[in-house]
Amino acid sequence: MAALLKVENLTKHFGGILALDHLSFEVQEGEIYSIIGPNGAGKTTLFNCISGLYRPDEGSIVFDGQELIGLKPHRIAEMGIARTFQNIELFSNMTTMDNLMLGRHIHMRSGVWHSLFLPWRKSLTAREEVAHRARIEEIIDFLELQSARNQLVKSLPYGRQKLVELGRALALEPKLLLLDEPSAGMNTEERQDLFFWLQDIKEDLGITIVMIEHNMQMVMDVSDRILAIDFGKKLAEGPPEEVANHPDVIKAYLGEDEDESAAVARQ
Amino acid sequence: MFGQLIINGLAVGSLYALVALAMVIIYKASEVPNFAQGEMAMVSTYFAYMLLISNQVSWHVALLGTLVFAFALGMVLEFLFVRRAKDPTVLDLIIVTLGMQLVLHGLAGWKWGPDQKDFPLPISDTDVVQVGGLVISYLNLTTMIAALLLMGLLYAFFQYTKIGVAMKATQQNWMAARINGIRTNHILGITWGISSVIGAIAGVLFAPTSTLDPHLMWDPLIKGFAAAVMGGMNSLVGAALGGYLLGFIENLFGLYISLEFKSIVAFLAIVLVLWFRPSGLFSKHYERRV
Amino acid sequence: MDMKRDYFEDVQLLKDRAQKIWFGILIITLILFPFVSPNYYIYLINYIAINVIVTVGLNLLIGYTGQISLGHAGFFAIGAYATTLLMLKLHVPFLLAILIAGFLAAAFGFLLGLPALRLEGPYLAIATLGFGMAVTTIIGRVPLFGGHMGLQTPPLSIGPFVAKNDREIYVVIMLFTFLMTLAARNITRTRVGRALIAIRDSDIAAEALGVNIAYYKTLAFAISAFYTGVAGGLMAFVLGFINPNIFDLLQSILFLAMVVVGGAGTILGSVMGAAVVSFLHIKLEAVQNIPGVGQFLVYLSQKWLSVSGLPNFTFVLFGLILIFIVVFERLGLYGIWLRSKIYWRTWPF
Ligand SMILES: Nc1ncnc2c1ncn2[C@@H]1O[C@H](COP(=O)(O)OP(=O)(O)OP(=O)(O)O)[C@@H](O)[C@H]1O
Ligand SMILES: [Mg+2]
Repeated sequence: MAALLKVENLTKHFGGILALDHLSFEVQEGEIYSIIGPNGAGKTTLFNCISGLYRPDEGSIVFDGQELIGLKPHRIAEMGIARTFQNIELFSNMTTMDNLMLGRHIHMRSGVWHSLFLPWRKSLTAREEVAHRARIEEIIDFLELQSARNQLVKSLPYGRQKLVELGRALALEPKLLLLDEPSAGMNTEERQDLFFWLQDIKEDLGITIVMIEHNMQMVMDVSDRILAIDFGKKLAEGPPEEVANHPDVIKAYLGEDEDESAAVARQ
Repeated sequence: MFGQLIINGLAVGSLYALVALAMVIIYKASEVPNFAQGEMAMVSTYFAYMLLISNQVSWHVALLGTLVFAFALGMVLEFLFVRRAKDPTVLDLIIVTLGMQLVLHGLAGWKWGPDQKDFPLPISDTDVVQVGGLVISYLNLTTMIAALLLMGLLYAFFQYTKIGVAMKATQQNWMAARINGIRTNHILGITWGISSVIGAIAGVLFAPTSTLDPHLMWDPLIKGFAAAVMGGMNSLVGAALGGYLLGFIENLFGLYISLEFKSIVAFLAIVLVLWFRPSGLFSKHYERRV
Repeated sequence: MDMKRDYFEDVQLLKDRAQKIWFGILIITLILFPFVSPNYYIYLINYIAINVIVTVGLNLLIGYTGQISLGHAGFFAIGAYATTLLMLKLHVPFLLAILIAGFLAAAFGFLLGLPALRLEGPYLAIATLGFGMAVTTIIGRVPLFGGHMGLQTPPLSIGPFVAKNDREIYVVIMLFTFLMTLAARNITRTRVGRALIAIRDSDIAAEALGVNIAYYKTLAFAISAFYTGVAGGLMAFVLGFINPNIFDLLQSILFLAMVVVGGAGTILGSVMGAAVVSFLHIKLEAVQNIPGVGQFLVYLSQKWLSVSGLPNFTFVLFGLILIFIVVFERLGLYGIWLRSKIYWRTWPF
């Protein structure tokens, strides 16, 4: 199997804070790769670097054989990387359907000129709207979002909003899916559903997943491999059992328990 | 020639600096670009005019009265309008200040009519002092000195007075200030009052060189903004420097390129500065948190 | 799914019979209007219709994309002057002239949109304010534009058809307004419009989904300027003359007021906002003639202010309305309309 994503020596400063410190790892095609680490370890920063929102100081990120650093976020999305956000970033004044339709943005073509002919059923815009809505309907069915279809997303409960965000990322038909704490704020039942969906996404849709997750149960159950980081540096990497029992990882998490304020202060 | 250019630049620059300072004080406190700033100054200038002409008071008294009026005006506007918006977005705040701009513009036109009035300040705009080969009018000299004095006063105010320090604390961290028992609402009102006073001084010093009508401060408004933007909107020192710099560039442009189109320099300055240094000439850039 | 849906319904303009009937009534009213209405009202409707175009365009920028502009009077001026000059000096036919004027305004919009890419809320407001003022400065000083005296507009003609009065201009204006409003609605309902709203609601999420923010932000500026430019071209014919004073800062604020009063981010709201604000603007020019209120204002003027300055009452009122909307009803008239619809549906329970 080839590496789909290859991160090498990635480094990012914010003023005096070293959020990522020469971090290197590889993600294989078709796996679920989880990233764990205490608060402020640099996990979200890593995602932001991959999706082009932050520009790293040093290092390289190669996806599908192409360097990502320096590319605009929308170009990176077009290459097949979709993501969700830790603090939900939905288009809150749109319906679920319209939110998901944005996931289809890169697969559609109609611009201003085409859209003027919307009233004609045969126009490019109308045909596109119809065809892509049908695609979205599949995702809505998959994630059981039917009842939310035409509701404004800001009126949905938190757990469902997270699902809409997941659905929106899936609508992009990515090769690589970046999930930033997908199960945060979910109840046990919702988390159980998510577990099955993640497996379906991996197996049926063939999408590679990189996931930041705090819920260890979830991480242990679903991951093929795990990367543990702290202070932007790699602590351990490997199969779930191995990483969970790694002394440095245990220390990092225990350290957090003993002195939580230190972790907070780092933020 | 060049020396004269600098003098002239400093003179108008003082005015721009004052308007910019007035804006930045408010911007720092509440992130509102105050589009009513010009109209607040205009109304205060009319008030001075009224005292001088209709009420025939001496100009010392008129000036003092105007400052008190301006302070009250600022506080009242803040209390009546700005404070009313709940969890306002930037757009909301801009709309509120534009609303106030319309109200003040309308009221001034309603009370004093559209005709242009001569503003009688007993400092001559035409008599000049000569130093070396350079000339400067009494009014320009007064403006420059007044601007410097005000800047000094502001500095001392923020540095040494209790209210000033509280204001600074509020600007830096609203929440923390609140927890430490500073009445942030109060502080905001005073901020608007002080800003209004500075604007009023600019208006009174500017009116004699122009004519007094409800459009009096439109031009200085955009220049004040330009100066403030050059200084990064967030720094008093930056705003003052921005004002002088703009005055200087404007005169340079007037001399070498075109006198007629001098007033679009402000716009060009805004666009260029924002293009190359989005957070101003004198401040550093921050990466947005995602 | 067992039941096959027709997704075209989702994007259709008229979804049910009631809507079709209302739409039909609207069109018939618009067609019949010039035959039954007195001249004065036709002028008023023309004025309103033009402002509808501006408001719809400006709303695409402010309400949909979340970018602010205080310089739209500048685009309005560019459209008006370009149309007039093309026809006067180069004898370009009206339709071509106004189209060119629209695209010229769009080009300026695009240029102004470039620095806007780097600016957020307050900075953008300031930059666009500067733009509007720069435009009026320039047209006031260049002889080609007729300086402060301005220019006389040539008669509006399309081929052999020459519009001699407001009634005939109405036909042209209404066609433009109708088509452009419809176009805006189509844009907002499809890919481009969704991208614009996405940028407003969460620009980082939009980027991460492949929306080219720089492109769409400048596009929004260009479209919005195009609308305003075309509207400016039409306004030249309604007024019969143009001069720099028509396009001042107050005009820009008035446009903004139309968007805000109608409700940011809705096409229907834009129409309502433009109608109400324009109507008030014209009606209040003679506020002293309004029974009751007029007398009171005259009394007030005599006692405290000045009678000659009474027309300024309009500004005071508009200013208060703007503040009122931010404080009490951020969706403006559209919000009120929505709520009353819900109210009537459940009435009297
Ligand atoms: N835009 C920014 N500006 C300044 N500092 C930042 C920025 N983004 C992140 N940081 C800092 O970088 C460090 C890493 O933050 P990051 O959000 O990546 O942590 P994380 O591992 O995702 O933590 P959590 O589990 O809390 O989400 C933190 O100290 C944070 O304060
Ligand atoms: Mg995080």
